[in-house]
Amino acid sequence: MDHDEESFEDREIRTWKLKLIWAWILTIPIAIVMLSDRIFGMSLIPESYMAIVLLVVSFPVVFIIGFSTIKSGLKGFTSFYFNMDSLIMLGTVIAYLTGIIAFSGLIAIQDYSGISAMIMAFFITGKYVETKARGRATREIKKLLELGAKKARVLRKVGKSGKEEEVEIDVSEVKLGDIFIVKPGEKIPTDGIVVKGESSVDESMITGESIPNDKIKGANVIGATINQDGILYVKATKVGSDTFLSHIIQLIEEAQSTKVPIQKMADKITSIFVPAILVVSVLTFLGWFFISKDLSKSIGVGVAVLVIACPCALGLATPTALMVGSGMGAKKGILIRKGEAIQTMKEIKIVVFDKTGTITKGKPEVREVYSKIPGKSLLDLVGSLEKQSEHPIAKSIVAYAESNGVGRFKQVKKFKTLRGRGLEGEIGRNKIVVGNSLLMKEKNISVKEFENKIDSFEEKGYTTMLISKNKRVIGLIGVADDVKEDSVSAVKKLNSGGFRTVMITGDNERTAKAIAERVGIKEVLANVLPEDKANKVKELQKRAMVAFVGDGINDAPALKQANVGIAIGTGTDIAIEAGDIVLANGSLNGVVSAIRLSRATFSKIKQNLFWAFAYNVVALPLAIAGVVHPVIAEIAMALSSITVVTNANLLRRKKI
Amino acid sequence: MKKIKLKIQGMHCASCASNVERALKKIKGVNEANVSLMTNKCFVEAEDGASVEEMKKAIDKMGYKVVGVEGA
Repeated sequence: MDHDEESFEDREIRTWKLKLIWAWILTIPIAIVMLSDRIFGMSLIPESYMAIVLLVVSFPVVFIIGFSTIKSGLKGFTSFYFNMDSLIMLGTVIAYLTGIIAFSGLIAIQDYSGISAMIMAFFITGKYVETKARGRATREIKKLLELGAKKARVLRKVGKSGKEEEVEIDVSEVKLGDIFIVKPGEKIPTDGIVVKGESSVDESMITGESIPNDKIKGANVIGATINQDGILYVKATKVGSDTFLSHIIQLIEEAQSTKVPIQKMADKITSIFVPAILVVSVLTFLGWFFISKDLSKSIGVGVAVLVIACPCALGLATPTALMVGSGMGAKKGILIRKGEAIQTMKEIKIVVFDKTGTITKGKPEVREVYSKIPGKSLLDLVGSLEKQSEHPIAKSIVAYAESNGVGRFKQVKKFKTLRGRGLEGEIGRNKIVVGNSLLMKEKNISVKEFENKIDSFEEKGYTTMLISKNKRVIGLIGVADDVKEDSVSAVKKLNSGGFRTVMITGDNERTAKAIAERVGIKEVLANVLPEDKANKVKELQKRAMVAFVGDGINDAPALKQANVGIAIGTGTDIAIEAGDIVLANGSLNGVVSAIRLSRATFSKIKQNLFWAFAYNVVALPLAIAGVVHPVIAEIAMALSSITVVTNANLLRRKKI
Repeated sequence: MKKIKLKIQGMHCASCASNVERALKKIKGVNEANVSLMTNKCFVEAEDGASVEEMKKAIDKMGYKVVGVEGA
């Protein structure tokens, strides 16, 4: 999506508007003349001139102002890919031809040429209103497009002295690694990492999170968010189409091309709709002529059938509602990637949460240390071993050791990671094992002496690591990962909404239960190795439809396995590819909103499809029965598609 | 396998969208074609060998115009 494309849509609206004005300037006199003649029996124009005047005035409306419609309709007949315009073209041209035939006096027939102009004028009016309403449906997305900053102030070496100076350039010229300066109140030009300064940044336009985030050196910032009070020096880490904002926009655009299953039926109908109506119209004409022998009436009925049929309402029902829904979501940091998720969401009974990083902040900290040997020596040993690992818990222990005076870590030999259980290695001549009690059991290390201590750690919700030296436990470290502030309220809402909430984690039962209890989750799947999460989801699926909420980086298989995968992230750390729905803001309240949004959008889609079907089911037989005048038929058709698009826009009234 | 985005001008109804999808799917190498009426774009999944020119021609024949190609 680029900017000239926007004007492309605006241009379309402008063109329709222009056509609309000219069509009515010519059609209103026609309507006045025809109505006064028909209803009041008053001839404003002498009878003998009437036919020629109507033919002359209607011609430009149908064939000049309506040129693109006539042309596109004709293309349908030459290529056998019929479309809506084919119906309008045939309807108006036939109506116009009756005028010529009547004028020529060959056959005595009613002159419908004025009607042809009126049909075209109403068709154009309908298109104009519909195009405008469609534009409104994309309002939020357009806003996203315009969100990006235009200019950036970067530091560039100027002259021979190599002195750095501020230079203002277009955002498109910012290169990776450029350092740019953002003053208070300014938009951050592109994604980057803070290298100097501190400030708070309002990220609400991207994540929906209303409270500004504090940014210090080393923090990631997102392009298009607004710097609040300090000056930030930021190094560009992503530019152009790689930025977070660009990703979001691409994602929403791509979601538009995915289908909501309920639409399938409507799609099947629209693909044969126009040819079917052509056939029905011909049959109606023949039937009427056969029975009534009234050529004029038969033509009128045939034309009414052509113009009353409306595949548009059917085709627009889903995409407009989906567009408005995704726009509303995007504003709150809820990105719908697959249309299907909206439909599936309504069947979801079980919501499974990954623990780390989803329910909790994902930043474990050491809370308690119990040691049989001097504390510092214990930290020295554990720290040295953990230093070799990238695991978040390992990092928290290293950080703790460092802040407690362990300066240099020892060399480790024969280091080994025991996945999901712990680590082992040799320091000096000592064999050190760090891990959970399962690992100790596996290594035949007795933990009997420490059982009470382990219990008390686990009841506090600590992930408990035991440290053994030469097969003897010498201490315990309790690590805890704080629960996100709003996890509790989100889970409460889900529970009262009738969902079964489940937490899945690699932690042992007791630790996991302590945390689950804190947030109000009743069911816990503990001791689940990362690779088994998807299998656990599969098991739950035997009972009901499952939504999985996880961070998308470690949980990709489980997100895929679930009926709806909700990937949760903070700021730029989102694995966008993994989820059906992506939450740009780490809060679990997003899950509640995403469920609400999906339900509201889907019910809007259902409503729209119902109206579109009902309209055609009622209107077509009426037209065939000959009780609808062709002009009224055209007005009804225009109204039906306007109704569908307008109804989609009404989705915005729903609170999510 | 490649993913192409075609920006198409002139589609203004659901039948148009389904015409474009059907016509594109008839082209050799095109596996999937999805039109979004809201963005006036068609998302095509095709074998590497599939010809974009051929897609353009097919769309042109029906009276619509390809005004932009991304990802070809």
